[in-house]
Amino acid sequence: MRATTGLIDRRNFIKMAGAAWVATLGARGAFALERADAVFASAFMAPDGSYGVATLTEAGEIVERTALPARAHGMAYSAASKRMVAFARRPGTYAMILATDGRAEPVVIAAADGRHFYGHGCFSADGRLLYATENDFAANRGMIGIYDGTRRFARIGEFPTYGIGPHDMTLSANGRMLVIANGGIETHPDFGRTKLNLDHMEPSLTLVDTETGALIQKHTLPGELSRLSTRHVDIGPKGEIWFACQYEGARDDLPPLVGHFSHGEDLAFVSLPESTTEALANYVGAIAVNRHEGLIGLTSPKGGIAVTLDARTGAVLKEQRVADAAGVAAADHGFAVSSYDGRFKDHPNRVAWDQHIVRLARS
Amino acid sequence: MPHMPTLALGLFLAAIAPPAMAQEGSPLSPRIVNEAAVPAVMAKAVDDFIIPGYRNLSDKTALLTKASAALCETPSAASQDNARTAFSELVRAWSTVEIIRLGPALEQNRFERFLFYPDRKSTGLKQVQAILAKGDETAIDVASLKGKSVAAQGLGALEYVLYGNGSEALASKEGDFRCRYGVAISQNLDTIANEFLAEWQKPDGIQSAWKKPGPGNPQFRDSKEAATELLGIFVHGVEMVKDQRLKPFYAGTVDGRQDKGHPKLAIYWRSENTMPSIAANFRGLQTLFKVADMESLLPEDSRSVAGSADFVFKSVIAISQNIDGPIGEAIADDKSRAKLDFLTLNTADLLDRLNKDFGGAIGLGAGFSFADGD
Repeated sequence: MRATTGLIDRRNFIKMAGAAWVATLGARGAFALERADAVFASAFMAPDGSYGVATLTEAGEIVERTALPARAHGMAYSAASKRMVAFARRPGTYAMILATDGRAEPVVIAAADGRHFYGHGCFSADGRLLYATENDFAANRGMIGIYDGTRRFARIGEFPTYGIGPHDMTLSANGRMLVIANGGIETHPDFGRTKLNLDHMEPSLTLVDTETGALIQKHTLPGELSRLSTRHVDIGPKGEIWFACQYEGARDDLPPLVGHFSHGEDLAFVSLPESTTEALANYVGAIAVNRHEGLIGLTSPKGGIAVTLDARTGAVLKEQRVADAAGVAAADHGFAVSSYDGRFKDHPNRVAWDQHIVRLARS
Repeated sequence: MPHMPTLALGLFLAAIAPPAMAQEGSPLSPRIVNEAAVPAVMAKAVDDFIIPGYRNLSDKTALLTKASAALCETPSAASQDNARTAFSELVRAWSTVEIIRLGPALEQNRFERFLFYPDRKSTGLKQVQAILAKGDETAIDVASLKGKSVAAQGLGALEYVLYGNGSEALASKEGDFRCRYGVAISQNLDTIANEFLAEWQKPDGIQSAWKKPGPGNPQFRDSKEAATELLGIFVHGVEMVKDQRLKPFYAGTVDGRQDKGHPKLAIYWRSENTMPSIAANFRGLQTLFKVADMESLLPEDSRSVAGSADFVFKSVIAISQNIDGPIGEAIADDKSRAKLDFLTLNTADLLDRLNKDFGGAIGLGAGFSFADGD
């Protein structure tokens, strides 16, 4: 039977249009990614409603932008292979991989049959493989799609995420584990972005072996926090895993929103002051670590705020009002924060920045 | 506008201002929701649309339960017709309030138990057919039916009972098991409808949260959060009609080629309630828009956004009411297909007006759906 969802149509569109799309970019990508001053990248929506991805300077000025076939969300970068990827927003059907040294043509990959992208992923330590969080929506099972960069990112296999509704994923400091935030929320492309199981969510954080796909460690949340969706992760200065949450429960609860753990250890939530939890509106949209300064950056578009924590103590060092705060990434000093209304650091741009920023060089 | 050709309708559309996002020069600077108007708007949405809508739903499920029981007691073509009429009336009542997909609808799978759709793999159909073939006694007891698959206990299952293969048996004692299964589904729907109503009527329940946004509120800490939730009903509602109700059976004209259509993927195709249901979806949205006075949320100089949205609401309601008969015949007919094309185009336009224009005007700079996080 023909699928009733637009997902298949869009997937076919990407398959057909992907090659032509890439051709318009030109051999060197018409995208000056190799420019040394391009240190950030983020997806955006232009004023005419079209979508793209841009690189930016340390100051937040756009270096170069290129169009994308549909709205993108999360991004990842590999210094080893000089590749950058932008994932379509969930329930997404494409990802575009660009060579930041301009030495390879861009590649557009389409989600496999019966899978869609969740909008996040990461590269292997050597930069050869790309991992993507995906939904096996018929089985309501989180999956990790594995794509081989030496074969134009052909899909060569998959692992389970050992949870439902995976969102963000990153690589552990030793490069041997995938760190996955299973948000615990069931969705199905037939129902768009509707959350289908808010009264029985199953959030979890998992560590998965990059070689074998075996589950190394899984943390579920206690019953009273079952509505706390674990959604974004980053790696701290000592290799510890930081995670940030979005709460689907009562608006006047004050749930913990940020925490960390290491391999073999229990989860530890940071006890933020009540005023900070309130300011974050029970919703952290993005998290980033500034490793050399030992800082954790959080943004909340719902609260309109950016918060900086001390990675060692969890203490709040700074709270900054940023209306429609979107992405956060480590900057030379502190963090670069973007917004839906076009600001990047303090620089205004005539685009709406999406929820995430990737740093193209290790700070 | 029964005989209005498509072209003239297109011109009507062109006569009102294009959605704001099409204007390259417009800044993305945020506008502000009229905070003072929010509590009254939320109260009107609850008291004048949601509660009356669920009360009507509960009336219709009660009537359906009676009609289903009467059919089993005295099976005949006439009593089968009565049950079918009660079903169609319930579909209209449900389609008006199904746009409220939040709060009590998200708890205990109430929404999916009432209506499981889309059913891509025909899961529901197979389960219902199996229940009928086996004469599964656990399906005719409302308590045990509740524990069965969501696909076997709602409107889709009941439609098959009343209109699907073998439904002619309902007119005689031969259809007794099938009939009693229909009664159990009707009772189940009645129970869920009463739960919706009770949840919304609780004075200290969700209605209180809706009416008084502010600190300490379990739903909305401020007026902007409340206004955003309310706007979400419109954006998600129109999106649902566009992507889940229209597109599956007729995708329109893509690259100059007409979709040949898939009538059996249309919701309620067996009972010919596809277009009445879509019309009721739009009527529900338009009614809520009006009775809640959504216009009052807009800054003074953006009020025309509401007028344009209302204009397109009227247009999509008129056209969806104007496509009659079996949906397969409508897709095969040139005139009706032109109407479907028009409807598809206007539904997309309506979505833009609510998502981008209305969203932008109440301070969601890049539009409602851009700002729903992730």
